[in-house]
Formats: sequence, structure tokens, C-alpha cells
Amino acid sequence: MLRLRDDGYRPGREEYTKEDVTDFSLFVRTSSEEIHKWDRNKITEALLRETDISEDAAVIVAKEVEKLVFNLNLEDITAPLIRELTNAKLIEYGLEHIRKQHTRLGVPLYDVRKIILNQNKENANVPHGPEATNLTLAERIKKEFALIEVFSHDVADAHMRGDIHLHDLGMIDRPYCSGQNIEYVKKFGLNLPNAISIAKPAKHPEVLIEQVIKFSAALQGHFAGAIGWDAFNIFLAPYLVGIDDRRMKQLAQILVYEFAQQAVARGGQSIFSDINIYWECPKHFEDVPAIGPGGKFTGNTYADYVEEAQKFALALFDVYYEGDAQGRPFFFPKPNVHLTEKFFKTEGYDDFLYKISEVASEKGNTYYIFDRGDTAKISECCRLAFQLREEDLEDAKEPWKMRYSAMQNVTINLPRIAYEAKGDDTRLFEILRDRIELAAKAHLQKKAFIEKLLNMGKKGPLALLAMDLDGEPYYRLHRATYLIGMLGLNEMVQSHVGEELHESDYAYFFGLKVIAFMKKVADELGEKYNLHMPLEQTPAESTAYRLAMLDMKYYPLQASAVVKGNKKRGEIYYTNSTYLNISAPIGPIERVKKEGVFHPLIEAGAITHIWLGEARPDPESIASFVAKTFKNTQNAQITFSPEFTSCLDCNRTSRGLMERCPYCNSSNVEGITRVTGFFSKISSWNKGKIGELRDRRREGSLGV
Amino acid sequence: MRMIEIKGFIKTSMVDWDGKVTSVIFLPNCNFRCPMCHNYELILNPSKYQSISISDVKRYLEMHSDFIDGVVITGGEPTMHKDLSSLIKQFRDMGFQIKLDTNGSFPNVIRNLVEKELVDYVAMDVKAPLTDGKYKKVAGVDVEISRIRESMDYLMKSGIEYEFRTTVVPTLHTEEDIIEIAREIEGAKKFVLQKFEPKNAMDEKLRKLKPHDASYLKQLAEKCKCFVSKIKVRA
Ligand code: SF4
Ligand SMILES: [Zn+2]
Repeated sequence: MLRLRDDGYRPGREEYTKEDVTDFSLFVRTSSEEIHKWDRNKITEALLRETDISEDAAVIVAKEVEKLVFNLNLEDITAPLIRELTNAKLIEYGLEHIRKQHTRLGVPLYDVRKIILNQNKENANVPHGPEATNLTLAERIKKEFALIEVFSHDVADAHMRGDIHLHDLGMIDRPYCSGQNIEYVKKFGLNLPNAISIAKPAKHPEVLIEQVIKFSAALQGHFAGAIGWDAFNIFLAPYLVGIDDRRMKQLAQILVYEFAQQAVARGGQSIFSDINIYWECPKHFEDVPAIGPGGKFTGNTYADYVEEAQKFALALFDVYYEGDAQGRPFFFPKPNVHLTEKFFKTEGYDDFLYKISEVASEKGNTYYIFDRGDTAKISECCRLAFQLREEDLEDAKEPWKMRYSAMQNVTINLPRIAYEAKGDDTRLFEILRDRIELAAKAHLQKKAFIEKLLNMGKKGPLALLAMDLDGEPYYRLHRATYLIGMLGLNEMVQSHVGEELHESDYAYFFGLKVIAFMKKVADELGEKYNLHMPLEQTPAESTAYRLAMLDMKYYPLQASAVVKGNKKRGEIYYTNSTYLNISAPIGPIERVKKEGVFHPLIEAGAITHIWLGEARPDPESIASFVAKTFKNTQNAQITFSPEFTSCLDCNRTSRGLMERCPYCNSSNVEGITRVTGFFSKISSWNKGKIGELRDRRREGSLGV
Repeated sequence: MRMIEIKGFIKTSMVDWDGKVTSVIFLPNCNFRCPMCHNYELILNPSKYQSISISDVKRYLEMHSDFIDGVVITGGEPTMHKDLSSLIKQFRDMGFQIKLDTNGSFPNVIRNLVEKELVDYVAMDVKAPLTDGKYKKVAGVDVEISRIRESMDYLMKSGIEYEFRTTVVPTLHTEEDIIEIAREIEGAKKFVLQKFEPKNAMDEKLRKLKPHDASYLKQLAEKCKCFVSKIKVRA
């Protein structure tokens, strides 16, 4: 094979002198919608511009490509094809590293056709439409870009093999998600870089809510995941003084409907939005000077506005209770209600608990967040929580500073480690350590990339995050967290010790040992690399399916013994994070307790789902269950998830998943339930999720 | 003596006793044959279900007594079992509150349990207005109305917490029937209208019925409100 030793002259790029054009009547269709006459120099130029090839080598390669093309006797040729022919030549000459730099990222015609015509099943919240298609196409290319350019070879390979999963690669040029405080909007108004108009701090609650929603939409364009707002009702409260019940309800409606119907955000999706709600004024905000209309300090503290905050919270849950015009639950924004020690001592807590439990039973929106002791957190996304550390509580005194973000989420494929360890405990923990090390490496690489973009400042692609209204950039890189997720603890344990987590104490404690070890290693490495790396339960919307499929391919014997779902139909999945088998015959009490023991180890977010199906628990019973969960367990978050069938013919919504509408018998129905965190339509789910849905154990049926 | 066999056990229920987290115990057999019965397998072929050992149930209750407020005894018809009170007593001794579901055809059993303070709450079905023909239609068998009446009267003056409840079935009940029931229990503490779910009904013909709208039941509740202290729709 011909090899080219590329040690020729490397000129400054502008010194390069073009060679004479071969007269050769071939036309080239370029990607910039033009047709050019054949010009070999274009190849040389591209090679010199894009790679660090020498001029001599570039000229030789270009001549060779020309020969090749000439012999093909074509009338026209596309630029991408020329590039691939050039790449083939580079490989032939052994210039693999140059070939890589010269790679073209793109999507085959067949795939584009499919993407345009079919629903995207990777993320159930992306509707199908031109905007969604744009998103999918862009993500395809950015994903390839990330794997070639942002991450090192070993990290990219580990992702592609499925040892680890790098989340949201298609959004490589954004951090993962963001939690903040509306104080920023109250104080600075809506003053976004590159915006055509600037709005002053709001004077009226309606305007403030609109500004927050617009800001959320802007943020959504800069983050891959959810946009969460801390203690929303507490900070809205100074705008609500003297407002009557009717207007209060209208404000709550504006908030919910505007968020729910903003189907114009990224890829035509609604904004993944979370609002955190408190019944009491949280301790860390009690003495904070309140900002009111016009962005001015009111002279009071937030503790003085509890009454208004409570009224708004009640109105908000009235809106959730009613649901949309067809009685369906609102998909967004997700209300996270924080229960604290103080909550249970605050007047009226029982009525409020009843109200949110009514919503939990009827529509399922309520997320119960348990902040025991002195814990304080901002919750968002499927379960993510930013636990406020000491320096964060310092920020709380100037709440506009409270801007927290997770940079990235990397999930470890736990079952695969069991397959590779072949029953050897020591080996299992060694491999686990290596995988976390790899995840840390991935975090460092993503951090470096985002840092580069942020450093381009106001002219750069992340101008919004670089904006600097309070003395530091909106995105506070030094405060970012780097998430380590896990998938399929249950299957790992099942494969390694022969029993699932719920099947024996031994299996259960082994599972705990694994997660405790993960935490320890993540902490150690975090210290070493100066990254805050808490564990998070991975929202495994597509990961549970992807990694199970990859393991069925690489470890068919071991994987098929533990994988869940229906293998014949290809609806397979691994059990989410540290959950117990979702079809196991254990009641909610055991689930809440046993899963809860993992939660303190999983600082950045853990949750237990109680799947209701068609059961409609008594709200008071839910309230009692929730209070006991707070007092008697370590569980960090719970939610009750009902299922609905929405009829597209008679427009009525009924409880449970059914093939036909029970009112009009139409089969033109749509199932709705929670996917991992947010509600969505089942028709948009991927196969693994559908397998999981079939396996869900619903409460309220004739038991055991 | 042969103990009652427990044929079903729901570890955690938040639907069976308002305001409480409970475990539910299903006992086999029933003297009625209601066409809308959901648990008909339990009364027609109880041997189909494996019995659950009382010690397993007790172990579970013990372990989770920090969550579970009470035990719901349902069926079938629990009051048909002779040793019901000794079963209940075992849970009682563990400190649990007890709710009994009954069709009310054994007033003496109810009276006995109440007097011995073995139950805290009784939910009694009222299947239809108290006339022979109507009751028979909904209960599926001839019913001695006087016994139903006796259970009702007893509960209303016993001082114990209770509810009367009626599952409203299209084709079996007219609107007037429900109002008539409310009139017969005039002065009762609580009356619950339950939505009928066609899916699992014993009588196949009923499975094809369109269920009532929740809004229909709410309207109906409005009309019955004046007869009782508290009315509730359970959908
Ligand atoms: S009384 Fe209850 S258990 Fe007995 S047949 Fe009627 S509905 Fe079924
Ligand atoms: Zn319909």
C-alpha cells in the first residue's frame, strides 16, 4: 500500500499559491446551493484550511482525487462526495489523523426523510413538526461533533459501546440544566443580550409572570434540561399585596397556561419548567429584604409576605386541580412542594396538604419534596435537586445570585459491570471505580468546552449565560455541579448475586454498598479534579432502553437473564437508577421506605414513584401517607402518578389506560401518564418505556 | 377450629378508608350475588385464590405499623364468618383500628362487634330502596329486608363512625331510586355514592354499560344532600 510521509513544507496558510486549473468540464454541486466548475485547488484549500496537512501532501492528495474523479466520467458530482473521496485517499496514504480533521458530519438522505416524516421517540416531550425535525437534525450533527471534537477517544468509545452514557450530546454546546430565583428578573427586568428591546423591572404581577416565562424560554435555549424556579410563590408575594381572590386565580392561570402552552420553545416543545412552592417562608429567606414592584426594596422581609404567598399557592393548586379545558393534567410547569420541619408547624399546613393531595389524587401534578432537618434545595427536572450548601445559603441573602446549574449528566451502566466482573466482588468494584473515573474525565472535557464558549463572552454563542448584570456572569461556572447517574442497580445486583433488590436482604444491602461506594469514589474524584460530583438518579427516558439494547448485543447471555420487559417485542429496559423492580409485589410503604434508604446517598436528586393507574386515593389518606413518609423515612421525594385516557372524539378524559373511550366507545384515544418526570402522551414513547409501562405495578388492585 | 381463610391482602391502600392509610383483608364467600360485584371470583370460586397466612399478614402489619393506621376487613361478606371477631381481635391487639365492609344482612354480628369495641368504622352497602323487588334485583338473591333495616337502624344509633354507600349502576338504579335510598337513611352521618366501573362486573351484560359521568353523580348527590349530614361521591 502506498504511504505518504507527510513531512513537507507547512506554509502560513495565506502564502499558498494556487496551481493552474485543469480544464475539465465537470460541475460540482456544493452545499451552499451553488454549482461550480471543477477546481482541484478547492480540495487543496480545504485540506489546508481544515487540517494540519503539509502543502506538498495536500497538493498530491488533490491531484490523486482529481485523477480518480476524471476516470469516473461524470457530468456532475457533489461536494460531499468529493470530500469522501478525499478522505478515502487520506486513509490510503495512512493519514488517518488528517482524515479525522477533514471528516464531514451529516445525515444520510434516508434518515432525513425518516426524521421529517416520523415521530422522534427519544424524548417524549418533542412533538412532531418542522421545529422538532430541525432539533433532531441539529442534534444528530452536534452529537457526532461532540464525540469527535469535545470528548477524547476513550470517553467517546465508552459512550458508544454503552459502558457509560453521556446525556444530551446533541446539546453539547449548552450546560445541562438550571435552577434559579425570579429575584433576578424582578431586580434587573428583562434585559437580555442581543434582544431588540429591554424591559424594566415589572410593576405588576402579570408583567412579572410574563417576564419570567419569557426569560425561561430564553434560558431553555441555553440549557439541555429543565428550567427551575426557586420558592416561586414566596418571591412573587410582594407583588400580590391587596389582590383579591379572583385576580389571584387569574394570575395562577396565566402562569400555568403560559408555561403549558409555550409550545414554541426548543424543537416545538413546551418549556421543561418547574416551580418550587413553599407554604411557609423557608428559614433561609425569612430575613431577606423583599423586592417588590419596580424592582425596589419594599422595606419588609419575605417573612412578611407569607399570607400572599399562601394565597397564591392555593390558587395555583386550584388551577392544577381543574386541569386543562378537557380536564387533562397540565404537563408543565411541574409544581414541587417542599415539606420541611417548619411546614408542619405553620398554620394551615393541613389544609394546604389536603389541597395538594387532592391534586395528587385527581391529576398527579404534585411533587412532594422532603427537606428534613436543615436541608434546603431547589428541585427540578425529573428529580434533580440542588442542595444548598453553605456558600449557597450565603447567596440566599441576595437571592438574585442564586443561579445553579448542572453542567452534564453521565450515567454508569451498572449491569454491564456485573457481566464483566463475572461474579468477582473485587473486580466489580474496580471496574465501577474505572467507570466513575471515565465519567469524571468526560465532565472535565465538557467543562473545558463550555468554558471556551463562555469565555467568548457577549459575542460568543452563550452570550445570554455570559451576561453580567450583577458583577458576575449569569452562568457561574465555579458553582456548577457535575452529575454522576446510575442505571440498573437492580439488574446489576441480580446478575451479580442472583437475586433482585427486593428479593433478599443480602441483595438489598449489596445494592446499598454499591451506591455508597459510588458516592465515595465520586467524592474522592471530585476533590481530586475540583468538580462537585454528586450522584443523581438518572432520568432514564431513553438510556434505560439504549443500554439494555447494547448489552443484549454485547453480552447476550448475561443480559437476557436480567433485562426487563418483553424481549420478543423488543420492549426491553433496565430498571431506572436505584429503583426496586417496578413490577415487584411490594406496596407503596415498603417501596417508599426501601428506596428511601438510598436517597441520602444520592444528593442531587432521588424520587420514589407511586403508580396509581386508575386508582383515585382519598386525598386525606395521601396526606397522611406523605406526612408519615416525611417523619418515618429517609425518602427525598415522592409523587403519585395516575394514568389517563383522553378521547379525541368526545373530548372527555377518563382515568386509567384504555383502548376505547368508556363514554363514546371511540378507539381514537390517547393515553397520558408520567414518563420519567413529566407527563406526556404515550404515543410518543420509545419501546423500552412502553415495556416499562406494561410492567408497572399499579396500586389499588386486588393485592398479592 | 378452622380459622377463616384470608384470600386477599392489599398491603397499602389509600382508597378504602377516608383519611387513613390501611391494609385490606379479603375474606371469601357472600350470601348476595350482586350483578355489579367486582370480587365475584372471591365469592364464586374462593378456592381459586391461595390462602394467605395470618402470620404473614401480621408480620407485615407489625413491620409497617409506623404507616398503617388501620385494617380494613372486606370480602365477600365478612360477617358470614363465625370466627370473625377472633380474627379482628388479633389485629386489634396489635393496636390497629378496624373498618368493616358489610352488606348488612347479619345485624347481630355487627351489633356484637360494635359492642365488644372491635370495630371503629362500618361501611354498609345499601343496594337499593328497601322493597323486596328492588333489593332482589340489585342483590341478585331474595333478601330479608327487615335485617337490612335492622343493621341500618342499629348503626345510626350506635354512636360508632359509619357510612352507607350505594354503587350507582345505570340500568339497575333510576335517579328516583337513589333519592329514595337517601330518604330511607334520613339523618345518617354519611352517604357515599360510588361510581360503577363496568370492566370487572360479575354480570357480563353490565360490562358493556356506559358508566355515569362524575358530574351526573355530583348532581345526584346534590339532590340527596338534604337527607344526610355528609354526602360524598367516590369516583
Ligand atoms: S354483597 Fe358485595 S361481595 Fe357480595 S355479591 Fe354483592 S357486591 Fe359482591
Ligand atoms: Zn369519547
